[in-house]
Amino acid sequence: MPGSDIFSIVGGALDAQNARMGAIASNLANVDSITPPGGVPYRAHEVVFEAAPVDASADETVTADANATPDMGVSVAGTVLSNAAPTQSYDPGSPYADAQGYVTGSNVSQVGQMVDLIDASNSYAASVAVLQQASRIDQQMISSFQVS
Amino acid sequence: MQTGFLNFYDAVLGATQQRASLLANNIANADTPGFKAMDIPFNNALSAALGDASAGSAAPEYRTNTAVGLDGNDVSLDLERVEAVQNGEQMTAAATFLHQATADMITALRPNPNGS
Repeated sequence: MPGSDIFSIVGGALDAQNARMGAIASNLANVDSITPPGGVPYRAHEVVFEAAPVDASADETVTADANATPDMGVSVAGTVLSNAAPTQSYDPGSPYADAQGYVTGSNVSQVGQMVDLIDASNSYAASVAVLQQASRIDQQMISSFQVS
Repeated sequence: MQTGFLNFYDAVLGATQQRASLLANNIANADTPGFKAMDIPFNNALSAALGDASAGSAAPEYRTNTAVGLDGNDVSLDLERVEAVQNGEQMTAAATFLHQATADMITALRPNPNGS
């Protein structure tokens, strides 16, 4: 089957972008979370990707041997917490206010998260386009064998 | 035993398929910090697949004409998508020609195409 490893590459990419969108959803849900004095404020989660190393050793890559295909794809390397400063808003009436009347919020930037979400959505759509194209070509290859 | 034209389509399809994997990998890693996009010039891949040793290697090469972002990633999603579509059309064309050539050969093998 032509390009069968494309499907695993695209699958990994969709997984990774999905994890990223999950983190963004969590960040946006917590944008207004507040913390009592002395508590740990919510910090934005950022998903970091890593590439599977492409085996650059040449020559073998062209052989028809499926075992010679270099390892490709993307996976989630982990999640890091943003180091931005948490917001401080003046609200002396809040039960979570500190001695000066300030309430500690999250450090999530709503605009930044929305930009990230659009970027993730774009990358997801690009991978879906690759998947559709690979599937279309596979179907064409299968129909090549239907010689009447 | 492989006849000449089947050998050629084998090489074309092999080269385009290898490029398709690399382009899919580039798109998959569009958001990976430090990732550098790779591609194989089609001519090199085809010559290598046809067994032309003088034509240079078919090793993946880094792209040199794309801007590198702050995170060290130089994938241009637009460029990769254009290349992927072009590569897909090349693959489709090869498959179509192969299909027609095979059908012609089978027609030629029939004892009496106009008879029963």
